Amino acid sequence: MRCAWQEFIQLLPLWMRKDVDTLGKDELQELRLRVRLPPELVTISGSLWLRRNVSAEDLSFVMNATSQYSPWAASTLRNGYITAAGGHRIGVCGEAVIHDGLMSGIRNPFSVCMRVARDFPGIANAAQCYTGSVLIVGKPGSGKTTLLRDLIRQRSEDREGSVVVVDERGELFPLIHGTSCFPAGKRTDIMTNCTKTQGISTVLRTMGPACIAVDEITEQADCDALMRAGWSGVSLLATAHAGGRTDLLRRPAYQPIIESKLFDTLLVMQPDKSWRAERILL
Amino acid sequence: MSIKLIGAVLVIAASGGFGITIAASHRREVKYLRQLLAILDYMECELQYRLTPLPQLCKQSALEASGLLKTALQAFSTELENQVSPDVSSCMTAAVSHSPELPTHTKSCLLCLGQSLGKFDLQGQLKGLEYARQFCREKLEMLENNKEVRLRSYQTLCLCAGAALAILLI
Repeated sequence: MRCAWQEFIQLLPLWMRKDVDTLGKDELQELRLRVRLPPELVTISGSLWLRRNVSAEDLSFVMNATSQYSPWAASTLRNGYITAAGGHRIGVCGEAVIHDGLMSGIRNPFSVCMRVARDFPGIANAAQCYTGSVLIVGKPGSGKTTLLRDLIRQRSEDREGSVVVVDERGELFPLIHGTSCFPAGKRTDIMTNCTKTQGISTVLRTMGPACIAVDEITEQADCDALMRAGWSGVSLLATAHAGGRTDLLRRPAYQPIIESKLFDTLLVMQPDKSWRAERILL
Repeated sequence: MSIKLIGAVLVIAASGGFGITIAASHRREVKYLRQLLAILDYMECELQYRLTPLPQLCKQSALEASGLLKTALQAFSTELENQVSPDVSSCMTAAVSHSPELPTHTKSCLLCLGQSLGKFDLQGQLKGLEYARQFCREKLEMLENNKEVRLRSYQTLCLCAGAALAILLI
């Protein structure tokens, strides 16, 4: 298991660093901070609570540390999250700032959910046999991104042709000073910090990919971009939020990619973070 | 006679040393302020083109500076990377406190820069940089304007030193 743990600890206010480091180094999944409530450490075996309450200044510290004191470089805050160094995703709740009917940021954050990014090399060993396009589905926190990361790495190591990762949130292979925190494989190219639509069309024209990988397709635009790429002779690796095959078919945005059989295999994440494969047949 | 000579030498050394020290500190202050102005321009370009995060921006800016200003900017970048201060202003205060020899005006310009950085989106940040630049220009102008006053002080000092020498040697 790999994790940029020190980078995670550095995001925290000084008073809670030691406790979180001691209690959560090996099993922390999420750290939830809410103003005037004690920090909640969500671990594999349940929740742990620290004694001291979180203040608004503590949240402000976390926001500053996560954005590296650079709000202009944290444009994703308008989508309610910031990705910190090491790939840790910090979700933010508070008063939304609205401009022209669109959310432009969050003022006075009330709570943050800090999800620890971990890498488990080898968890996709059994999925190597699926050679075509693969769609991984599962509930939030079920391990989709972790499985996709390993799948990308293995495909990049074992097959001819490059795998281009369009990493909109910078969580798959987070870059620190231009270097990925997690090994990405010898034929992997990483495009980060741009939307999937922009990234897919760019890499398709410029990088000559054999495979394109994206994390969390959620919107119609993402699906449209995948459709264009998929029918250009490129295989796809992607993840999507869905409880299972039935949920997937109920979501209108996903229907075209399922009906057109863009993906050959569906990997459904299980509650214990294992997965099972299904052929996509209608 | 030898006492008179020693006295004369001491008067010359004291007034010369004083003049040289004042002139050097003035030159150094002007040099740092000009460097800081150039760095603010560089920061603006870098932000507009690449939206570079602050720790990296300051590290790059330090390469454009020299002497104590370079040291202060490097310390600022390190403070930002260490992520122990609650905001940018505190990081800058900590960084400046590591360089006590930094000239006064340069120090106040850096503190002003610290207060304007890291608060808003790009447009807000560019305005903050413009504010810091204006502050820096005013300090530089003030130093330039003080030149005449300083020259008069040096003339007075020379006359006094000459008079002291004359009294000693007569």
